[in-house]
Amino acid sequence: MSVKAFELVPAVERDLLMGDKARINIECIECCGKHLYVGTNDCFVHHFLLEERTTPKGKLAFCAQKLLHKCLGLKKPVNELKAASALERLIVLCDSTVTVVDMVNLEAVSSGGARIKGVASFCVNENPVNGDPFCVELGVIATKRRTVQIYMVYEDRVQLVKEVSTPEQPCAVCLDGYFLCLALSTQYMILNYNTGASQDLFPYDSEEKKPIVKRIGREEFLLAAPGGLGMFATADGVSQRAPVNWSESVIGAAVCFPYVVALDEGFVTVHSMLDQQLKQTLSFRDGHILQDFEGKVVLASTKAVYVLVPLPLERQIQDLLAGHRVEEALTLAEGARRNIPKDKFQIMHRRILQQAGFIQFGQLQFLEAKEHFRKGQLDVRELISLYPLLLPSSSSFTRCHPPLHEFADLNHLAQGDQEKVRRCKLFLVSYLREARSTEVANGCREDVDTALLKLYAEADHESLLDLLASENACLLADSAPWLEKHHKYFALGLLYRYNGQDDAALQLWVKVVNGDLQDSTRSDLYEYVVDFLSFCPNLDLVWKYAEWALQKDQKVGVQIFTRRTVSDDQAGQMNPDSIIKYLHKYQQATLLYLEHLVLERRVQKEKLHTHLAVLYLDRVLGLLSQSPSPAQEVAEAREQLQKLLKESNLYRVQLLLGKLQDTELLLERATLHGKLEEHDKALHILVHQLKDFPAAEGYCLWASASRDEEHRRRLFHLLLGVYLDPDAPGDERTVAAVDLLNRHAGAFDAAQVLRLLPEGWSLQLLRPFLSGALRGAMHARRTSQVALGLARAENLLLKHDRLKYRGGPVFVSEKKGCQLCHNTFTEPDCVCLPGGVPVHTHCAAQRARDSPRKRPSANPSNHT
Amino acid sequence: MKGKFDIDVVADSTITKRRVQRATMPDYAKMKKPDVKLVILGDMNVGKTSLLHRYTERKFKDTISTVGGAFFLKQWGPYNISIWDTAGREQFHGLGSLYCRGAAAVILTYDVTNWQSLAELEDRFLSLTDTANSDCIFAIVGNKADLTDPRALVEEEGEEEKEVVPQLSSSPTGPPKFRKQVLREDAMAFYSRILRYKLLDEATSLPAESMCFETSAKTGYNVDLLFETLFNMVLPSILKKESQSCSPTVDLEECREVKRTKAGCCT
Ligand SMILES: Nc1nc2c(ncn2[C@@H]2O[C@H](COP(=O)(O)OP(=O)(O)O)[C@@H](O)[C@H]2O)c(=O)[nH]1
Ligand SMILES: [Mg+2]
Repeated sequence: MSVKAFELVPAVERDLLMGDKARINIECIECCGKHLYVGTNDCFVHHFLLEERTTPKGKLAFCAQKLLHKCLGLKKPVNELKAASALERLIVLCDSTVTVVDMVNLEAVSSGGARIKGVASFCVNENPVNGDPFCVELGVIATKRRTVQIYMVYEDRVQLVKEVSTPEQPCAVCLDGYFLCLALSTQYMILNYNTGASQDLFPYDSEEKKPIVKRIGREEFLLAAPGGLGMFATADGVSQRAPVNWSESVIGAAVCFPYVVALDEGFVTVHSMLDQQLKQTLSFRDGHILQDFEGKVVLASTKAVYVLVPLPLERQIQDLLAGHRVEEALTLAEGARRNIPKDKFQIMHRRILQQAGFIQFGQLQFLEAKEHFRKGQLDVRELISLYPLLLPSSSSFTRCHPPLHEFADLNHLAQGDQEKVRRCKLFLVSYLREARSTEVANGCREDVDTALLKLYAEADHESLLDLLASENACLLADSAPWLEKHHKYFALGLLYRYNGQDDAALQLWVKVVNGDLQDSTRSDLYEYVVDFLSFCPNLDLVWKYAEWALQKDQKVGVQIFTRRTVSDDQAGQMNPDSIIKYLHKYQQATLLYLEHLVLERRVQKEKLHTHLAVLYLDRVLGLLSQSPSPAQEVAEAREQLQKLLKESNLYRVQLLLGKLQDTELLLERATLHGKLEEHDKALHILVHQLKDFPAAEGYCLWASASRDEEHRRRLFHLLLGVYLDPDAPGDERTVAAVDLLNRHAGAFDAAQVLRLLPEGWSLQLLRPFLSGALRGAMHARRTSQVALGLARAENLLLKHDRLKYRGGPVFVSEKKGCQLCHNTFTEPDCVCLPGGVPVHTHCAAQRARDSPRKRPSANPSNHT
Repeated sequence: MKGKFDIDVVADSTITKRRVQRATMPDYAKMKKPDVKLVILGDMNVGKTSLLHRYTERKFKDTISTVGGAFFLKQWGPYNISIWDTAGREQFHGLGSLYCRGAAAVILTYDVTNWQSLAELEDRFLSLTDTANSDCIFAIVGNKADLTDPRALVEEEGEEEKEVVPQLSSSPTGPPKFRKQVLREDAMAFYSRILRYKLLDEATSLPAESMCFETSAKTGYNVDLLFETLFNMVLPSILKKESQSCSPTVDLEECREVKRTKAGCCT
């Protein structure tokens, strides 16, 4: 409860009215602009001028100046007063008689024409159907008869226009248009005085309790209902608003939107028509009259007059908000929508929504808060600014004034409750994330993104990196210290990068990798940096950090160069030669880089191949020189060396051969000899020195691959020769020779072999070879016979075709015309079209040109 | 609101003739006018307020005895439906006719554990509906079904706090304590008597089976069904009213777009 909607301000004090005369009481009042009329029980009418003043303390006060008081001379109380300002008349009910007096001098007007007798009560139609501006329509309840009369009051006379009877004696009346709203003795009813149609409203015992009939707007009335209710009813007899629950003993009621003000014996109560709630209670004793005049609510005891001054709506709303009564405040604001110019309302409404949002935010009702922030189009920075240090120091934002909330900052709000702080921060994160994707953040993206970055950093939130890796407006100057504070060096590097400061980013990352700074965001930061360098377009930076990267790990570091796309080489700085030169110190890196060039990119340069081969060789030699030499590694290193030696044709064989001269790398030497076509030397090494017969055999296959049959045969014969060398006999070689023959029968010239073989070898021994050779020879013979036959057949076919096409002789004469140009032939040269038609050679050529796809199918032939 | 107090007061020190009568009050009296009205009637404590509350707020909470009446505006498709919650107390009985005037549907509510509450509907409340529309729809609703019917114990929505579900065995509010005093057949018989009272032909009226509900405001059982069935049933009445009031003058205040395609869809 307790909105302060009204303030009770004294208007006319007792002294001005009756002084200390105890018997004199106020009976009725009328207020019209600044004019206040008071009727008393001693038949006086007092006329005051009521001026509004503001006291030095800023309070509203009234100053009443008595203009006149006049006795009507009837010694009866003045029951009712109504002003008709357009007529300058005051309508007075006294002693059951309505009279009309001058508003200024209070003198009765003219003769007895302006008077109505036998009146119990009357009311003025505030919404008359008759539009005459110089008369006033009265609804009059007659004292005895069950009738209501309608009168027109003119400047100097009154005129009865209608009389309607009622089922019971009426005791209170109100008029709107043609509608009379009446309190009868047992019920309320609506009566249309024009048509006579009536509509019962609801029962009410007017004898027991004073009825109240109060017009509150077009065709709508407020009525006192049983059970202490203020009921609303329209002229149609329906209720469109929920009733308010005032008290059982209501004396008077008034409406001052959105409030219903009611007076009972001890209190003035204020209910909202919007939510039916009791909003304010003012204690007021001896209350006698409560009426509203043009929105001014006037209250009188028997001795003095007061004004209930409504507080400005915004003030009331602020009071409600101050009491955290968000719903009520919003209801009040929205209820006033129609009474306030649209743009003004929007501004006010928005502000209230924002305030409401902050109240709910303070109560951690984030869902509701968000909704109100959204509806109120809150500047996000208002919210951000609650969180200390989140707004960039460069932000131009200042909180709106007067403030939207009571919080200095988040700490003030949370009062040390860390859980609260945490939840508020979580809310802000989600709020800002949403704001980023809408236009809410327009115009303050930097503030929003920077704040979000700070929140992420602080909370160790994984989205920090996403934020920095995507489009963002985080302010570097403001974010950097924050990220440093939270050891988010990797993120800071990303931010530097985003701001084009790659060098700063690298410096930072290097420090983290080196362990000078602690940030565990990426355990593979070193690899990340290498990767970064491999793409970095700034070559100065690459050279600057390559050294560090290589020192750390050559194998990884060299990726700076190997991963680089080839087109980057154009700068010249990054050509393989300078890189190799640069890598000179780093043997492993050099090797990997050369491998990359030679094996992956297949760069065909002698220098590179030779260099790689030498490095391979050096590595093998290096390994071999260790003792004991690591067998596995040696094997692998040699494998690589051999592969290169075999596959590359570019390296300088002599150079390598020289290097290999005194080593035990026989297989490699054999390969090198092979490269030099010194097959006998190679085979000698393999057979005699290495005694590796499969290798020798393999050598022959390798050395003859991609060469012709003949070459291969030569090699095999050479090997056979070596095996069967009579100068160096050996059983094993004999076996090898047999095996060789049996396995590669086809590779030998069998006749030549038979001549070479020692006499004593059994046929059985060489069976596979011989049958293979025989079959081979047979096969070759038959194959060539078939080929011969086929060739002959083809020849025959061609001949047949030729004869067919040739046809008979073609005759060309000077009289004969060319089929194409129809000129005669002057020379014997001609072209023969299919069917033996002779045409000029140039015509045929022309035709061939014109229809390139339809070439003349006949073979051009010359005939004389 | 402020504007209201800024009304020019012409009379300064002299009273001019220009002013005819009191400045008419601003039209705050005009509110968003509902298209159709539903009224909930029934004896006190049968759960009228709880039903409306359950439907509008999706929860069950302690109510205080309704004073006079209250209403709620529900947006249903393009229409505004006002639902009036009335006070069952004898004291406010006289207001019933006023509330029912022009109603398109009346929800007569009783408490399934209380035979008297059904009897009261017939004795006291039925006559209040005389002021309702001639084509008014009647629904008979037996509330507090959770006390007698295990089916009504199933929460309609998950959001309700668990504690309100009465335990079948031990809870003091569990079925053993309450006997179902009013069967659905009784309600259906009452519905037939209403039709007779209204001089309506049973054959052409809505059937009793579809107009008698058993609900629980506590668990939400059948509550949405009740209101939404009625909303859809009163739509024709809205359309009828609209076509009747189709006057040649354009009402500038009534700038609502009627999207008829949306009719019948909720919220
Ligand atoms: N068990 C149960 N109790 C209910 C139900 N509906 C209402 N009540 C209780 O019945 C009492 C009266 O409810 P209320 O809504 O104020 O009834 P009204 O007077 O008809 O408006 C309250 O104590 C409610 O908690 C229901 O569905 N189940
Ligand atoms: Mg209730």
